[in-house]
Amino acid sequence: MNKGTGGGAIAAGYSLLFFAFLFGPLIIMVITAFNSSSFPRITPWECFTTEWFDELFGNERLMAGLVNSVIIGVGVVAISVPVGLAGALALSEVGPKVRAALYTVLITPILIPGVVLGISTIVFWGGLGRSVGADYGSIFFDGMFLTLAGQVTFIAAYAMLVFLARLQRFDPTLTEAALDLGATPGQAFRKILLPFLSPAIGSAAFLTLLASFENYNTTVFTILSGNTFTTTLASKVRHGTDPSLSALAVIIIAVTLIGAMVHEAHTRRAEVMRTGQAARSKVYGNPVLSVLAHPVMVLVLLVAMGGGLAYKASQHDARACKQQILDDKRALQEKLLEEQRERIRAQKAATPAPAAPSSGPAPSSFGGAFNPGSLAPGSAPAPAAPATPKTPSGFGGAFAPGSLKPN
Amino acid sequence: MTALRSLFQPMAAKHGLGAACFIGVAVFIWVVFLIVLPQISMLDYSFRLNLPKPDIGGPLDVYTLDNYAYFFSGNDGQLNTLDIGILVKTLVAAVFVTLIDILICYPIAYILAHSATGVAARLMVIGLIVPFWVNEILRAFAFRVLFGATGLINSIGMGAGFWDQPIDFIRADVALYSGLTYAYILLMVFPIFNAVEALDRNQIEAARDMGASWWRVHWRVVLPIAKPGIASGATMVFMLTAGALAAPQILGGPSNLWFTQLIYQWFNESANWQRGSAYAVILLLVCIGFVMMLMRVFKVSIGEIGR
Amino acid sequence: MTTKDIVLDHVSIRFGSYTAVDNAHLTIRGGEFFSFLGPSGCGKTTLLRCVSGFSEPTEGRVLIGGSDMKGVGPNKRPTALIFQNLALFPLMSVADNIAFPLEVRGISKKQRRKRADELLDMIALPGVGDKKVHELSGGQRQRVAIARALAVEPDILLLDEPLSALDLKLRHHMRTELRAIQQRVGLTFIYITHDQGEALTMSDRVAVMNSGVIEQIGDPESIYNRPKTSFVASFVGETNAIEGKVVLQAGEIVTLETPVGHLQGKAAGGRRYKNGDPCYLFIRPEQLEVKSGLEAPNTIAASVVKEEFEGSARILFLKANGIDMRITRVNRGASDALANGQALVCAFDPDHATVLPHGPLAGA
Repeated sequence: MNKGTGGGAIAAGYSLLFFAFLFGPLIIMVITAFNSSSFPRITPWECFTTEWFDELFGNERLMAGLVNSVIIGVGVVAISVPVGLAGALALSEVGPKVRAALYTVLITPILIPGVVLGISTIVFWGGLGRSVGADYGSIFFDGMFLTLAGQVTFIAAYAMLVFLARLQRFDPTLTEAALDLGATPGQAFRKILLPFLSPAIGSAAFLTLLASFENYNTTVFTILSGNTFTTTLASKVRHGTDPSLSALAVIIIAVTLIGAMVHEAHTRRAEVMRTGQAARSKVYGNPVLSVLAHPVMVLVLLVAMGGGLAYKASQHDARACKQQILDDKRALQEKLLEEQRERIRAQKAATPAPAAPSSGPAPSSFGGAFNPGSLAPGSAPAPAAPATPKTPSGFGGAFAPGSLKPN
Repeated sequence: MTALRSLFQPMAAKHGLGAACFIGVAVFIWVVFLIVLPQISMLDYSFRLNLPKPDIGGPLDVYTLDNYAYFFSGNDGQLNTLDIGILVKTLVAAVFVTLIDILICYPIAYILAHSATGVAARLMVIGLIVPFWVNEILRAFAFRVLFGATGLINSIGMGAGFWDQPIDFIRADVALYSGLTYAYILLMVFPIFNAVEALDRNQIEAARDMGASWWRVHWRVVLPIAKPGIASGATMVFMLTAGALAAPQILGGPSNLWFTQLIYQWFNESANWQRGSAYAVILLLVCIGFVMMLMRVFKVSIGEIGR
Repeated sequence: MTTKDIVLDHVSIRFGSYTAVDNAHLTIRGGEFFSFLGPSGCGKTTLLRCVSGFSEPTEGRVLIGGSDMKGVGPNKRPTALIFQNLALFPLMSVADNIAFPLEVRGISKKQRRKRADELLDMIALPGVGDKKVHELSGGQRQRVAIARALAVEPDILLLDEPLSALDLKLRHHMRTELRAIQQRVGLTFIYITHDQGEALTMSDRVAVMNSGVIEQIGDPESIYNRPKTSFVASFVGETNAIEGKVVLQAGEIVTLETPVGHLQGKAAGGRRYKNGDPCYLFIRPEQLEVKSGLEAPNTIAASVVKEEFEGSARILFLKANGIDMRITRVNRGASDALANGQALVCAFDPDHATVLPHGPLAGA
């Protein structure tokens, strides 16, 4: 196995890189949510702040979109899950030829670009509405309804795939046994097949809710003049960014992580209980640890921790720090100006005849303005920008003869 | 109709009349009203003129190839190099992103299926899924934060002295390609994982035992097994990338349009739904044609997609 | 005690052009343990599903207790089926499984539980009611499946190879147990199997099936000792089949000309043959005796290929003029072992050899 160990190191290294790629952007985004800089970034770090969260919750358009998204999401789950279930059941009953054809038809909405689905949905329902003479206030031109229709078209196929995977493991003789024992077909369906599918119903509901919530390509067409959470988010990102979006990401990621951990606690517990190894397990055999490892307890603990952190952070007052930063910037500005005045004075003293303005190339004068700050060049414009309108004399710097400080 | 009856009756006998009615009605509505009719009406729409409201249904409302002709030759009869170029660029970029995803995901799927065990494997699965619970827009936004002029990459690069002017990753499309690659990783990893997992570990060990080098093991033993998974993942990644709208809008450079953005413009900025429909039909046909061609080349059937 | 007879009245079942069951016509008496025996694919499971109501005959009728079952669904028939894989409901407890037939008939929870406990006592598994199905052993599951089928007191219990998943020892034990349960509850059992040992040990009567056709119906002894077709003779139990042509028939005794000389056997069912009719002579391995040297009527000269030792018996494989033969000899110690290649003569009693018309052999 000496070859294997080398492969193991490579595999571990590659996995690390892969997950760094996966999580890196998210982690950086999370960090920017706490930087007081008005553009989302890590360097330069200004002040720890939670003000972007307040800004986020104060964004009424986003919050209105959130309400729409929740309504649509609930509707999509309520329709997609049964429809997907019906599709999966139909596929499992028909003959192989019909099955192949039906599968192709039902799976295509996943492959069709979302843009195309959105367009076809509004065109179809709009045309239908016009042909029955409905006006623009009717359901055929209602963004919420159209979004529901457009999303269900392909999200039901996601649900169907979940159910199909589960159905593949269903033993059809169970239904036959139920019938043979006197159950009606309906009873066999309700008491045998549905309970077997119920875990899949949960995961299908989760998957469809998520897919509905974050859908953009279809929704941006079907919502017409309205807004969902995601479309509002997208237009916000397109028209200028601020760290309140990062704050949103923090919330979503926190909820996601809590959900993942609770789910993991649940599956582990279920597995241990099922195999009947609870008594032997170190964690589940111990009464205290067993309670702590219960999914509900995990949820409570994590939410409590998150809440505590959020409360603590919200008590943090960034004003002093921000004032400090502002003061620093001012001081820096003052210092630069002072230096420039010094130079001008010194120049005047040294050469009574003013140098020709053309001799001072502009780029070098900029270099002069920025270098003393020894800031990273990329971040330099930000501190300089707010200072310029307040201190018109700053322009003096630009006119400062570059000959004094040659390249 | 008899065909429908013959489908319906065994279902009723097996699951009961109520369940069979539910299945029949739900699948019927889904197929007819959500899948087939909308596509047909979009096709119909794409052959119509963009008329003012009073003229709709009037003598001027005739079928026309105008919208398609515009795509090929523009208004002036010259070859519409701009739009065709955008379509070609979109497809090439989608292929590029798909290939990168295959390269990135194949090793991780293999590691997940055959190297990782126990806790590590579970953590990897969770780690793969969790980032994709975060909104697509926010994921794109993260790449903008990362690649922006004052983003982390530029800060590090300039801080370490690799370059001294901020590099415009957005204009260079680096941010866009990274974002798209990132966006659909999950859809590539799991199909390959499902395929590779079926491989008997002994086969790999037997091949190693017979002295095959690791790349030969992959080329001759693992890849053939992974092929349907790769085809399935590649189909989904390609279609989703070619049809992506959010990532190009957020991460794309100002002059660099994605074909979906053209469609978006026809709809939302020019209010010419007919031409937008025509462009959507073009995108759909080109993408499906391309995927079917690849499926034929690699001998994979559509039934294997989504497994 | 039930006395409902099951009548299969010229039943044929076809799938397209394929005939799964061809003109099955028989009566199964109430209270009988009746087996269908045949190789896989012979149509026995199709026939069982037809009796239980999962499929309808293409031609003919199925009558239970005198009433035609056409259009009566599996849930309405007085039959209960034990599936090959048992089909116990994995998500339910053992007691819920057993009480399922009562549950779907709307019987109260308390009564259901009481009945389930009664049945668990009957199958000698008291106290496992709250366990999950997967916590039981194979034999226990078997018994639970039977208890579930008996919960609503059906008239007929149908069993589709229920023992095939068990290991050898348990299989032998369950044979005895099934027979005991059948005699205790007095139900009609219809048992499907490809294992002749199961069919012969448990059944009152056996029907042997091949390619959709019922070849013979009878009690186990007559099936084994007096097969009526070459298929039955070769499928049920081990046998030596020697091809030949009739040269003489004197009463029941037929003389055949075979590659290993003139041999005699009994004409099954009193059948008359013409000279020159192609026939098989079937001799059971235990009916052959090794004689040394002497050639006499009804002896076959052969040479030893190998000998297998099976504990209680030795199986001697021989070759006689190109024909493979086997002899089973009771093991009486090591002294009578034979060397490979040794020439010998084996003899048999014509009364214990069967002559049947040329026809398909099992496994051929």
